[in-house]
Amino acid sequence: MASSRKMVEFFYDIVSPYSWMAFEVLCRYKNVWNIDLKFKPAYLGGVMHGSGNRPPGMVPNKFHYMTKDLERVSGYFGVPLYPPSDVFEAMFEKGTLNAMRFVTAVAEKEKEGDVLVERVSRELWKRIWSTDQDVTQPASLTEAGLKAGLSASELEEILTLSKSQPIKDKLKSVTQEALDYQCFGFPFTVCHVNGKAELFFGSDRFELMAHCIGEKWVGPHPDKPTSKM
Amino acid sequence: MSNSRKVVKLFYDVISPYSWLAFEVLCRYRNVWNIDLKFKPALLGGVFRGSGNQEPRFVQNKFSYLIADLKQMSEFFGVPLNPYLPGEKGTLNVMRFVTAVAEKEKERGVLVERVSRELWKNIWSTHRGVTHPALLTEAGLRAGLSASEVEELLILSKSQQIKDKLKSVTQEALDYQSFGLPLIVCHVNGKAEVFFGSDRFELMAHRIGEKWVGPHPVKT
Repeated sequence: MASSRKMVEFFYDIVSPYSWMAFEVLCRYKNVWNIDLKFKPAYLGGVMHGSGNRPPGMVPNKFHYMTKDLERVSGYFGVPLYPPSDVFEAMFEKGTLNAMRFVTAVAEKEKEGDVLVERVSRELWKRIWSTDQDVTQPASLTEAGLKAGLSASELEEILTLSKSQPIKDKLKSVTQEALDYQCFGFPFTVCHVNGKAELFFGSDRFELMAHCIGEKWVGPHPDKPTSKM
Repeated sequence: MSNSRKVVKLFYDVISPYSWLAFEVLCRYRNVWNIDLKFKPALLGGVFRGSGNQEPRFVQNKFSYLIADLKQMSEFFGVPLNPYLPGEKGTLNVMRFVTAVAEKEKERGVLVERVSRELWKNIWSTHRGVTHPALLTEAGLRAGLSASEVEELLILSKSQQIKDKLKSVTQEALDYQSFGLPLIVCHVNGKAEVFFGSDRFELMAHRIGEKWVGPHPVKT
């Protein structure tokens, strides 16, 4: 007897390093927990604007803390995160609007499943948060797409699609969905359980999340459990 | 053979609900982990001012999230916290009182633990508040102080020595580049590992060579 899978919506933007942590953990647990994981590529800039929040990096002590925290969290989670040489330029001056429109276009094209969205998102995270490469130019997005297994002609199509009004609107509407859950930052995970939407911000709520959805958290590597809690 | 205990400093203010969660968890783990837990009563308002950060409740979406999150977290952690928007304008007098308790009992930490807990209950459990001196007295009595001890501590809390002590502990937190509370500083292998919030215990355990087994290390 299989109980119906619990839907878990994952709102993220590849500009967000903690979103990468949460993304990798949820990908590992997607076949361990009885969940239906749905990727929701969205725009963090839009969430900041819509909620009146400001990026944590704007507070010097927060920026300093996050730099140290990301080093040890990424080590613990086993995600190869290395901040870009100019974090402010990468995150705020260049931004990720084109990149998230690109991911949205991939999601729209991929009717069945989300393998491509997962792979493309990962390649984009690696560019900005591992190898310090650009994610704004078409050539950059193409390179990420090729690494994710898309063909050159598929990519040309997706790039064109990503500039279209329907895709711009789609990204806006997914971002608005996050705001409708009273989101103020990413990652934002919404677990639907017993007819309720349980909201979790950040990548440090997995133990609590598991408890709320009736599952077990055994650490960041479910194939090699660190603890039986 | 015993390893020397690792010093773990908890910077907190009783106006901070997440500080209460962190406090209760560390009290439970104090005799489970090989640590020397040191309470550092500080002023959250001073940390916000000194770091240029803003109270989370001023962002509407953060505030609604916090209320829901605190309900979940307090149930999971087994702490009787009922989230709401406190009427307290600030806790300067209260944290001076806690600082005075800490000064009087030197390093022992027993009274400061009990008094802090009673103050958290007043603000975050029963919502009785702490602004009125009578409420401070009430919390002190529940913590096991006598009426005359409480009176002495209230007087001491207004002294320059105590005002300066609270300022300097708050500055210590800022020197660790705090932007909020709770702030937990673990001294291990000659280094200071700094953790913000009450949701880093699994990582903290890993970094200090201990094991996190959830919010209730000893099942009662």
